[in-house]
Amino acid sequence: MNQLQSNSVFPLLEVKGLRQYFPISRRYTVKAVEDVSFYINPGETYGLVGESGSGKTTIGRAIIRLYNPTAGQIFFDGRDISGHMNRETERELRINMQMIFQDPMACLNPRQKVADIIAQGIDIHHRYHSLKERSEMVSDILHKVGLAPEHADRYPHQFSGGQRQRVGIARALIMNPKLIIADECISALDMSIQAQVVNLMKDIQQETGLAYLFIAHDLSMVKYISDRIGVLHLGYLLETGTTEEIFSHPVHPYTQSLISAIPNPNPLLERNRTAKKYDYKTSGIDYSAGSMHLIEGTHYVRCTDAELDGWV
Amino acid sequence: MERKEEILTVRNLNISFETTAGTVRAVRGVNLSVNRGETVAIVGESGSGKSVSAKAIMGILAKNGTIDGGKITFSYYRSPEERVTREILDMKKEEIRRHINGKRIAMVFQDPMTSLNPLIPVGKQIMEGMIWHYNTPKEEAKARALELMKLVGITDAEKRMKNYPHQLSGGMRQRIVIAIALACDPELLICDEPTTALDVTIQSRILELIQEIQKKRQLSVIYITHDLGVVAKVADRVNVMYAGKIVESGTVNDVFYDPRHPYTWGLLSAMPDLGTDDERLYTIPGSPPNLLHRITGDAFAPRNKYALNIDSRLEPPMFRISDTHEAATWLLHPRAPKVELPEELRDRIERMKREGGYYESAAE
Repeated sequence: MNQLQSNSVFPLLEVKGLRQYFPISRRYTVKAVEDVSFYINPGETYGLVGESGSGKTTIGRAIIRLYNPTAGQIFFDGRDISGHMNRETERELRINMQMIFQDPMACLNPRQKVADIIAQGIDIHHRYHSLKERSEMVSDILHKVGLAPEHADRYPHQFSGGQRQRVGIARALIMNPKLIIADECISALDMSIQAQVVNLMKDIQQETGLAYLFIAHDLSMVKYISDRIGVLHLGYLLETGTTEEIFSHPVHPYTQSLISAIPNPNPLLERNRTAKKYDYKTSGIDYSAGSMHLIEGTHYVRCTDAELDGWV
Repeated sequence: MERKEEILTVRNLNISFETTAGTVRAVRGVNLSVNRGETVAIVGESGSGKSVSAKAIMGILAKNGTIDGGKITFSYYRSPEERVTREILDMKKEEIRRHINGKRIAMVFQDPMTSLNPLIPVGKQIMEGMIWHYNTPKEEAKARALELMKLVGITDAEKRMKNYPHQLSGGMRQRIVIAIALACDPELLICDEPTTALDVTIQSRILELIQEIQKKRQLSVIYITHDLGVVAKVADRVNVMYAGKIVESGTVNDVFYDPRHPYTWGLLSAMPDLGTDDERLYTIPGSPPNLLHRITGDAFAPRNKYALNIDSRLEPPMFRISDTHEAATWLLHPRAPKVELPEELRDRIERMKREGGYYESAAE
């Protein structure tokens, strides 16, 4: 899997051969993620797309160590964070990697004021010396995400959906992380609000140079925000490359079907369009037999040699 | 084109909800009509009142909701010769249950997991409506359920009949819900965000499925959605809703290629465009108004950079643009200043028309 290493910059996050299994019973194990490798450079946005059940959320949760990975290695900022971590490594991880969740109502404590929700991270890690400093940090961050300082004393239910997601972003940002894992963070929002949140995330990235792992199923939004994209299906990373490479030369039939299924808001084209059909069972492709093949540049496809000859 | 036959007419519908915080005027004077065999889309953000309007048509408003005024007229064929026209708002709840719900108007909800009963096998859930509405004998209902499952593209129908909802994938579940909705041969199908909970690949398959069935059965469909891609794919006519009112309505081509309301401009601009590499997405500033407060003037005015003085005082009426196209904005008043489409949107529409072969089809 060395070929998947980036050659120019030292990557911020590197995932090598990650597997995540969930034993359900003695006989049955759900293999949610199988042999996934990718990297994220500092200041870059990596989009993970796939249908529900493809394992994209599991990857995000395994990276931030909400799960214990079954196999494989995860390097974050030069440290191995896949196995047992010492206290120092764990502290670094908990500070420098943050997560934004899908449903802003479900992930904010309804009985805490927004100020306390946002400050929880700096409370735990003792990042301030006085209460005055704490409230300054909170109002700074509120300002940054486009909320007003007086919002600090309100409760989550007093906000609209878009504002709540801003609180979720503020909570992640206050730690000044190097990587934010955004798990479907805009899918629960309305379209006009989605654009606001995505623009905000881009602005923050330009200002602070953090990296995003952007997990979503909406390809048009992923295309818009990501520098590079990984396509997942049934736990396998099938294709990865820059946004340009994936969208203009999709190689894997699954990627092709995914891209052909993006609704085009142009009625004259859309009415005549039929999505390319793809069925893993009848396609004759065996994901487990394939390995990553380089197409060009940073564009890799998971397949066997024979399959590759048929596709390119 | 055959003669248009209206099967559903909604006139000046007003709905409000009593909440602990006060009265929410969720729907403020909605007009809507659906013809036989036609697909009508209602587009809007959450809270714009699109689902509430649909629920009023089905007579399934929440308990704290009241209909303050308006008319919902629905007509159907009891037998091929006998056409019946009914006022849904004058009917008793039991009557609607008996004669309309599920039988004449069926609804597909957003989340297939919550609209299916987890304790009953799916086959039985498809048969339920037929047995209840038409007293269909069990054997016949079973045969018909099998037929429906094949119609919605479920393989191994016989085996799947006995499955419980949790044993099926999301796309399969939504197919079952559609099969249930079609079981009693309704004349109108209301799809409330039918594909929002599904992935893009399955989404297009479900939409194509509904289109196919629609052609076979002369079914009218109302789509409630916030996804303009879905609208572009399926709809004949589009109604754009904002803060409980329809602000623009027209054919798909009217709304996508010649939008007139600034809110529609915003919606169209805010979509990520696969054709260009813009650095920033357009956003509509601000957020939708709180309908707890009484709205004076145009509800969209605070977010509208083209707002006129009159917008803060008087609510704009619907201005007719063509036979099929109308919009509620003062910008269309003969004495209003001339406002052009935002430049990026104009370019984008121009490009969409070119790519779609709009001019060629217009020339024919």
